[in-house]
Amino acid sequence: MNKIMLNKHNIGSSDFINSADNLKASGKYLLGIAASDERTLNSKFNVKYFFGGGGGIEEYCVDADESFQSMSKICPAAKMYEREIYDLFGLLPSGHPDLRPLMLYPENWDSSVHPLRKDYNNLIPDMKKYGEYKFKEILGEGIFEVLVGPVHAGIIEPGHFRFSLAGEPVLQLEIRHFWKHRGIEKVCEGKDFKETLDIISKISGDNNVNIAIGYLEAAESILNIQITERAEYIRVILAELERIWNYVRDVAWIFMDIGFALPAQNLFALQEEFMRLNKNLSGHRFLFNSLTVGGVNLDLDSAKLKAIQEAVEKVENIIKDCEEFILNSSTVLDRLEFTGKINHKTAEELSLCGISARASGLPRDSRIEFPYLIYDKLNLKPVLHDGGDVFARTVLRIKEIYVSKKIIEGLLFNLPEGDIAVACGNKPEAYKYAIGNSETSRGNAFFYIMADDNGKIFRLKYIDPSFRIWPSIQYGVLGNIIADFPLINKSLNLSYSGNDM
Amino acid sequence: MSFLSKLLFKNKTQEIGAAGIGSILIKGEELKRSINGVFGRSLFVRLVDSGSCNACENELAALSNPYYDLERFGIKFVASPKHADVLIITGCVTRNMLNPMLKTYENIPSPKFVITAGDCPETGGPFKDSYSVCGPVSKYLNVALHINGCPPEPETIISGFLKFMDMLKAS
Repeated sequence: MNKIMLNKHNIGSSDFINSADNLKASGKYLLGIAASDERTLNSKFNVKYFFGGGGGIEEYCVDADESFQSMSKICPAAKMYEREIYDLFGLLPSGHPDLRPLMLYPENWDSSVHPLRKDYNNLIPDMKKYGEYKFKEILGEGIFEVLVGPVHAGIIEPGHFRFSLAGEPVLQLEIRHFWKHRGIEKVCEGKDFKETLDIISKISGDNNVNIAIGYLEAAESILNIQITERAEYIRVILAELERIWNYVRDVAWIFMDIGFALPAQNLFALQEEFMRLNKNLSGHRFLFNSLTVGGVNLDLDSAKLKAIQEAVEKVENIIKDCEEFILNSSTVLDRLEFTGKINHKTAEELSLCGISARASGLPRDSRIEFPYLIYDKLNLKPVLHDGGDVFARTVLRIKEIYVSKKIIEGLLFNLPEGDIAVACGNKPEAYKYAIGNSETSRGNAFFYIMADDNGKIFRLKYIDPSFRIWPSIQYGVLGNIIADFPLINKSLNLSYSGNDM
Repeated sequence: MSFLSKLLFKNKTQEIGAAGIGSILIKGEELKRSINGVFGRSLFVRLVDSGSCNACENELAALSNPYYDLERFGIKFVASPKHADVLIITGCVTRNMLNPMLKTYENIPSPKFVITAGDCPETGGPFKDSYSVCGPVSKYLNVALHINGCPPEPETIISGFLKFMDMLKAS
């Protein structure tokens, strides 16, 4: 059951904007903005702002007709959320500095059609050009542009990057994402909670367990389900396993991008061993479908527990060598240190989360700030670094692997007895809503879910950590050379599919 | 330098090879013979992700790890479509990715083949009714082979390539 303290405030749009300065000054930071079309209920749209930073989560609910006041100038992190709302709901964030379409491309979408409105008639505009997307331009003598993507050279997801350069250093980077926009939030509407779980697993496949945990926190709180302690333990073990293999892969890619194929391939082999462990545990290499509403789908017997123990011991041994190598090799340090620096102030203004925030000295870890499952009993401390560069993010990943290993070992042989799942026949209260969150290997995954009067999803808003963090690369690369961009990108290792949704 | 020297003196890939992945070696060798027989050179592959959940990309990337090391069997993922023989498509084909996908296809010199990997490009997966999805791939391109799975495991993808080569030999 959800343990987050949610303080709700109903407030007028202009009052809210006036108080936003004070909110920021008191150390609160924006977790996300969720709009919802509730005209069928109370003839209003509403926009909910969620803030973290004070122990619990503060919710500010603002009514909106066809527009609401933009808070982008006070809180730059709000910029992307407001553009998203303008696209999908057609609500105008008045005073917003940049209202270019975000996910509904003018190249193929009629801007008067807003698919997340409840009166959207499911008519899909013809596939033709409706307008043009204008990129920012830097003009001047000797300035040139380098265009990359959407289809990249390697086996990666699509995204468009536009660099403006004068000589070697990057003057500006503009990212255009949402090539993979699948309209997941709309797809979930009208589905029941179990069907939605299947869709949620496909938001970002490599983090599906942790994302599903965030979803289940909200869903089980709406359905009033208390899962068993054994199921909570198993969820945490699976979540930490997923975190470990993600971090192993991330560190491997760092080595790959600085031309150290030997350690990289060793870590890739280690990742493969974890994928095989996953397969052994759940029958699926990514642990798809191992969680369910009301518990988990797999039990851990003594053979499986032993396999997990051996795997985490092995990973610690290899990662220890790896850490020593990074810290003692001048060629590695030369590439990693001072590259892609994201300042503390930038991280704060953009409301970063996860490794990217912790590497810039911000103690943000949802497992500690908004504890869920049994994380509040684990006495975790945020692992921090103040470098803000590629080196800081790499070292933090390594340190977090040790933390995850310790968590898993602490739980493995203390698994409480009990069922792994409870029945969930409860019908949710009509139009009840809840929030849920979890810490993925990239950062905080945040869900806002409202049920309708049939026990189906009325509105589901998901905020991926990548959605928050992507804009920060545009600051991280400034002054760096373009050849370091892949390294900076990999050091954040963000999801395109989670961002684009 | 302990990490590097440990790796150099204790060759991990050999250890991995000995740990029993016979079926991959057998399939791989067969694949290599087959590719050499039909193409007389390696098979070059270009990937386009048209809207996947990134699990398929993870599995395709895993084909390069020391357990599979697909390049030794004569299959190489290339950076440019101009170098490719085969286009692998993953994902459910979003409206935004339709054009880049078709442009990539146009830029592959003939003869060219399309292979789809994962359940999404074949059916659209759970997203088939979405406003921003316009798949499946077969609506736009001639698909030579489909590799099933959500996502297909690396060994399944290798078997898929084998099947593809058999199809070419038969035609």
